[in-house]
Amino acid sequence: MSIEVTGISKSFGSFRALDNVTLTVPSGELVALLGPSGSGKTTLLRIIAGLDRADPGSGAILFHDENVAKRDVRTRHVGFVFQHYALFRHMTVFQNVAFGLEVAPRKTRKSVADIRDRVRELLSLVQLEGYADRYPNQLSGGQRQRIALARALAVEPKVLLLDEPFGALDAKVRKELRAWLRRLHDEIHVTSVFVTHDQDEALEVSDQVVVMNEGRIEQVGTPESIFHHPATEFVMRFLGDVNQFHGRVESGRVHLGDVALPGLSVPEGAVDTARIFVRPHDIELDTRRNGQPVVEATVRRVYSAGPVSRVELVMPTGQEMAVTVPHERVEALHLDTGSAVFVKLRRARVFA
Amino acid sequence: MAATVQSRPRKVSIRVDRPAARERRAVRRLLIGVSLAFLATFLFLPLAAIFAEALRGGTKAWIVGLADPAAWSAVKLTLLVASIAVPLNLVFGLAASWAIGKFDFIGRNLLLTLIDLPFAVSPVISGLVYVLLYGAHGWFGPWLQSENIQIIFAVPGIVLATIFVTFPFVAREVIPLMQEQGTEEEEAAITLGASGWQTFRRVTLPNVKWALLYGVILCNARAIGEFGAVSVVSGHIRGRTNTMPLHIEILYNEYNFAAAFAVSSVLALLALVTLAAKAAVERYSLRAPESAPADPILIASNLSEEPAL
Repeated sequence: MSIEVTGISKSFGSFRALDNVTLTVPSGELVALLGPSGSGKTTLLRIIAGLDRADPGSGAILFHDENVAKRDVRTRHVGFVFQHYALFRHMTVFQNVAFGLEVAPRKTRKSVADIRDRVRELLSLVQLEGYADRYPNQLSGGQRQRIALARALAVEPKVLLLDEPFGALDAKVRKELRAWLRRLHDEIHVTSVFVTHDQDEALEVSDQVVVMNEGRIEQVGTPESIFHHPATEFVMRFLGDVNQFHGRVESGRVHLGDVALPGLSVPEGAVDTARIFVRPHDIELDTRRNGQPVVEATVRRVYSAGPVSRVELVMPTGQEMAVTVPHERVEALHLDTGSAVFVKLRRARVFA
Repeated sequence: MAATVQSRPRKVSIRVDRPAARERRAVRRLLIGVSLAFLATFLFLPLAAIFAEALRGGTKAWIVGLADPAAWSAVKLTLLVASIAVPLNLVFGLAASWAIGKFDFIGRNLLLTLIDLPFAVSPVISGLVYVLLYGAHGWFGPWLQSENIQIIFAVPGIVLATIFVTFPFVAREVIPLMQEQGTEEEEAAITLGASGWQTFRRVTLPNVKWALLYGVILCNARAIGEFGAVSVVSGHIRGRTNTMPLHIEILYNEYNFAAAFAVSSVLALLALVTLAAKAAVERYSLRAPESAPADPILIASNLSEEPAL
């Protein structure tokens, strides 16, 4: 079931949490809403669920072409997973998962035996078969979130909404669980939207990433396109470490220092100055000039503890630059504090 | 619940020795001695005195003191008042807690403050307010008289005054818990299709049941023992509008000590039963699986190497 959000706004007092947001989630996809806190991503998710209402008069929310904006949360058939699990603390795991089936109206309610079978099935789906009689506080955070997911899936929701599902977990469990969520989604294919502020999580798990900032959508795209072709400065900054330089625009070329950078077109609206953004891994270092237009810099420090070496450079203008290169490169070039290097920007982006 | 108890991890007690928090033995003994002496003088001795005085003339005199129809009527009235006031305050307290703990609305803080009013105001004034409103010369007095309804110097007045005085007990126990628990579980319940009533009965209520019970017990204790407010509105009609505390005072003023202490002993007994119920609730609520600590290790407070006594 596809989700379509058109022209949704939401204000809390004078704070505009969502500003005319329009978004389409194709049926069966797993979509991440990515953004810093306060960007409106959770508000958007809660409005899709029906837990919050959009401002009166603002747009529609369509589930499979049917406007559900006026429908009660109970009848929207969404599965919602909360950051802090929100498991019913006085119920066992079994009772938690069975809850949605047991509160169904008598007409549509399954028999006790069917409910038991369905709960068993779900517990095996989330790989917690042996835990039916436990209470939530006897489970680890990762187990609790899997139970919360099983509980949400029990009612066969048309749409699964997850609010920072891994936000309360420690780093290792988080990584395991997000890979597991991806595999689970490949298995059940229910249209899912999850909110996160962690770009790695969004890029790794989702089919599509929606980057949000200050109540607006900055960019929508596949993880690859978002990462490699950020549409705005905000997306560029938010998706990972980035170096920012002040460049000049002269005779139709972007200059960094005295060097005209090849292959960069001048962005619209840039008159004299432009900002150049380069990721640390998109920079090449060499100790010879090699005939190409390059920027000169001096090594300030080399950090080699990690999967790649991180080199801190200072340019003659005083600007700093962070570069990541393979350890072998550092050794081959004999880089150390004080070494003079030539810098080539392999892939840079320029914004006005 | 019981079926799952054996599969739960056992609670392990660990004694943590914290040298910085360890007092010298003499200091420790002194502190414990002082507190015990204080408890004995101000709590235990008076309680023992009640039963000693009540039984001084033997059990026969005790029974005679209680067999007096006026005494018996006071016991019945007290229980009647409590059995009306406590359930009503259970409902009021729960409703107020639900509103304050789960919703944000204009006037929320005002309501929160108003709930404490009966604690802040002297019970005598609480009683006087009702006389002012419903008494013969009060605001609604003439109308009530014309309708032939008597509130002041009758049972309804006593019930009203008791409800007023005991109002905060349930709400005060339940509000902090509801606030702490937030609304996520309720939101989860409604996304799963539960109706408002199902959510309340199956999620909200079970989550606060121990606090609620605790509040009811405290409310009950106060309802049975209330003197000031009830004294103002009761009119002290022997055999009709005297609750136990009022009846005890009358007997005492008449120098009928044997009967006064006999009735007192019954009141004290009710208090002890209440205390036992409260202790039992505290115990069960801690033992209930859902409220067990997430980490099954209970760190016992520092009692250091040797037992204190």
